[in-house]
Amino acid sequence: MSEFEFQRFVTIGQFLPASSVLHRLDARTRILGGLLLVVAISAAPNVAGLAVAVVALTLLCLAARIPLRYAIKGILVPLPFILVLVVIQVIFGPGGDIRPWVVAGPVRISPTSAINGLKLLLRFPALILALTLLSATTSATDAVHGLETLLRPLARLGLPVQDLVLMLQVTMRFLPLLALEAERIAKSQASRGGEWGTGPRGVLRRVRQTLPLLVPLFLVGLRRAESLAVAIEARGYRGQTPRTSMANLRYEAHDALALVLAIALALAMVLI
Amino acid sequence: MTSFIDLHHVTYSYPAAVPDARPALNDVSLEIGEGEYIALVGANGSGKSTLARHLNALLVPDTGEVCVGGLGTRDQAHHPEIRRTVGMVFQRPDDQIIATMVAHDVAFGLENLGVPADEIRARVEATLRAVSLWDDRDRPPHMLSAGQAQRLALAGVLAMRPRCIVFDEATAMLDPAGRRTARRMMRELHAEGLTIVTITHRMGEVLDADRVVVLDRGSVAMDGTPAEIFSQPDSLNALGLDLPPVIQLARALATSLHGLPEGLATPPALVDAIDRLRHRAIAPPTGTSAGSGIPSPIIEAHGLGHTYMLGTPFARRALDRAEIAIGDGSAHGLIGATGAGKSTLMQHLNGLLRPQEGVVRVADYDLGDPRTNLRAVRHLVGLVFQHPEAQIFEQYVGDEVAYGPRLSGLRGLELRSRVRWAMDLVGLDFAAFKDRPTFALSGGEQRRVALASTLALRPQVLLLDEPTAGLDPRARDDLIGRLSHLRQGGTTLLVSSHEMADIAALTKTVTVMDAGRTPVQGPLAEVFADGEGLAHRGLTQPVVTQIAEGLRTRGWPLPSGITDIAVLVHTLTFLVAEESQ
Repeated sequence: MSEFEFQRFVTIGQFLPASSVLHRLDARTRILGGLLLVVAISAAPNVAGLAVAVVALTLLCLAARIPLRYAIKGILVPLPFILVLVVIQVIFGPGGDIRPWVVAGPVRISPTSAINGLKLLLRFPALILALTLLSATTSATDAVHGLETLLRPLARLGLPVQDLVLMLQVTMRFLPLLALEAERIAKSQASRGGEWGTGPRGVLRRVRQTLPLLVPLFLVGLRRAESLAVAIEARGYRGQTPRTSMANLRYEAHDALALVLAIALALAMVLI
Repeated sequence: MTSFIDLHHVTYSYPAAVPDARPALNDVSLEIGEGEYIALVGANGSGKSTLARHLNALLVPDTGEVCVGGLGTRDQAHHPEIRRTVGMVFQRPDDQIIATMVAHDVAFGLENLGVPADEIRARVEATLRAVSLWDDRDRPPHMLSAGQAQRLALAGVLAMRPRCIVFDEATAMLDPAGRRTARRMMRELHAEGLTIVTITHRMGEVLDADRVVVLDRGSVAMDGTPAEIFSQPDSLNALGLDLPPVIQLARALATSLHGLPEGLATPPALVDAIDRLRHRAIAPPTGTSAGSGIPSPIIEAHGLGHTYMLGTPFARRALDRAEIAIGDGSAHGLIGATGAGKSTLMQHLNGLLRPQEGVVRVADYDLGDPRTNLRAVRHLVGLVFQHPEAQIFEQYVGDEVAYGPRLSGLRGLELRSRVRWAMDLVGLDFAAFKDRPTFALSGGEQRRVALASTLALRPQVLLLDEPTAGLDPRARDDLIGRLSHLRQGGTTLLVSSHEMADIAALTKTVTVMDAGRTPVQGPLAEVFADGEGLAHRGLTQPVVTQIAEGLRTRGWPLPSGITDIAVLVHTLTFLVAEESQ
């Protein structure tokens, strides 16, 4: 519909405020649980485990009140690439020693490569669902405070945890703003005869039309970063001195339960 | 009054590529007493923001000293205490809100100071209630309106309980209602005993202060009460500034209306004083209204609806059955509070957005038709965004202006003469400016380059979104003059602005937007005559109109909706002079 709404297709990284069971969990539970699932999905060796992952995550998305159409949109964008990968995997993948179904020149479709393709086809959506789930239930503020507490032990080793967490926070806050800025610049160039949303599409054209976009975006980014640094300093932030925190995270029984469930689910994915 | 902030022979230069550049501040000495309300004014580049950043140790002078509450800013160990004492609110809320949730942003400063968690929560709540944002405490900042975001920025500072707050052009991006609220809050904080320093280009706001400091090229040029400063219009003009509209009007009237007291600085005071003069009861002869015939529209939109992020949980309705018709060769204004849909409507008029609902016609093109040649439409209708200089990407002025025409196929001499023509229109000499680096221009010059780069496509219609935002008074007057000239040359203009005086100066007809709709559309005088209707929609009348309408309600036979100073002065002179003979 509109060539300019850059934000619209990015579902990963968007927080969806709602009051579901998952939203109410402690931020640390969500972060640990989410990471655990992502690792398990990446490591799951069998189709059955991945199928469990897709089903379980779909149910979790429903439990988190994430509209399924919205979650699926996040899968649809990279789907063409994944399909290409799947086809390559199926046709050219190693077949093992089982007798292939089809052999035609370099093309060899064997049961093993078909299964590998299927795994790929399940793994990517499962990963995207897991990330969507984590980001939709975790506001940036939650993520920041959760990480801050989780990483605090590392500060004793001399790591600048506080600065890193602030950096993360600022990045999360500014990505949507930069997307809006990019949109505005693209529109402005289009009104000056630039080729956004008109004329033929080709790779070379695409590359050529991004230059007028990148230079101002870079400058705007720098300018904003500078203003922000000044604002942060003006409000008394000093990297190394200890800060206090308004948030008090409470670890409760249902957090422990949720974490146990996440571990069980992860184990199921890997072991089935 | 004890000296609270003390600047002693402060000189400061930004580390720059050019070795012998003029310092941003040059031997500035200034004493600020506790509880003062100071307006800091000056042309762009006069050093206002640099001075402000010295007040809470964001910058430390090259030579000289700054003391805040007796603490020198040169000593790093004093910085936490100094930043707790002097808070700053910047122009763009977006650039100073750090957290991703309202309440956490207010807590940010307190967390930095090491305040205990319980105390933080109590102060955050109290502060958010004070700025009426408590109900929004869990929302992400980018979901706030511009006015709310500015209040959040203020809350972040207030929570630290500073003794002084510096507002660095904090009202520049706000709509009239937001600006009114911000001014009221500054006055209230001042009444509570806080020291207020406000930087502004709006001379009307300077009248709230009890002291004015005028900067010029890094030095203090004038320092006094508003009355003292504004009694020297010639010196102000020389410094690139002008008088507040009320005082301009009062001075213009003082020469023709005898018996008008001096020093009238608010519209009600001026209305009262004028009303005390005897006047005739007969309306002055009005000139025949020229060009009353309605030209055929070049742009028309009917029943226009638009929803952003359609089909996602973030869907937001921006236009709802909006209507607009712009006559060929006319000048049309678009006003409305922030978020009323002005920008979205404009983007429909040159095909950046396609109509989701309703119809948009530009000349013979139907923009709802997918076969419509959008490039042709965009050549016909040029759109200049807010702060267009931010979109400059070429290194040299000439190349920047040539970008559009080059894409449309112009080459060689033809291209050159087109660029020269566009630069002439905005008053940039082709020979002198074509090879200048774009980054080395002043803000006003950059804006003119950006305008020229759109004009170079020779659009028949020019859409301008907040064309004067951020310009100092001189650059603003210059730009308004050039746009009027374009209009006289036959270019159709559509101007959106929060600056009612700009709308009055540039346009003849106005559309008022409110929550995505277009409830009012009509001649300038008619729209501006309805003060209550405007206030209801977060807008305001130009000062001249406020005074004219004030007199009308007291029985003066003035035509309704006067927006022009000269017209009001002329009419009043007629009414009063005849009677006193």
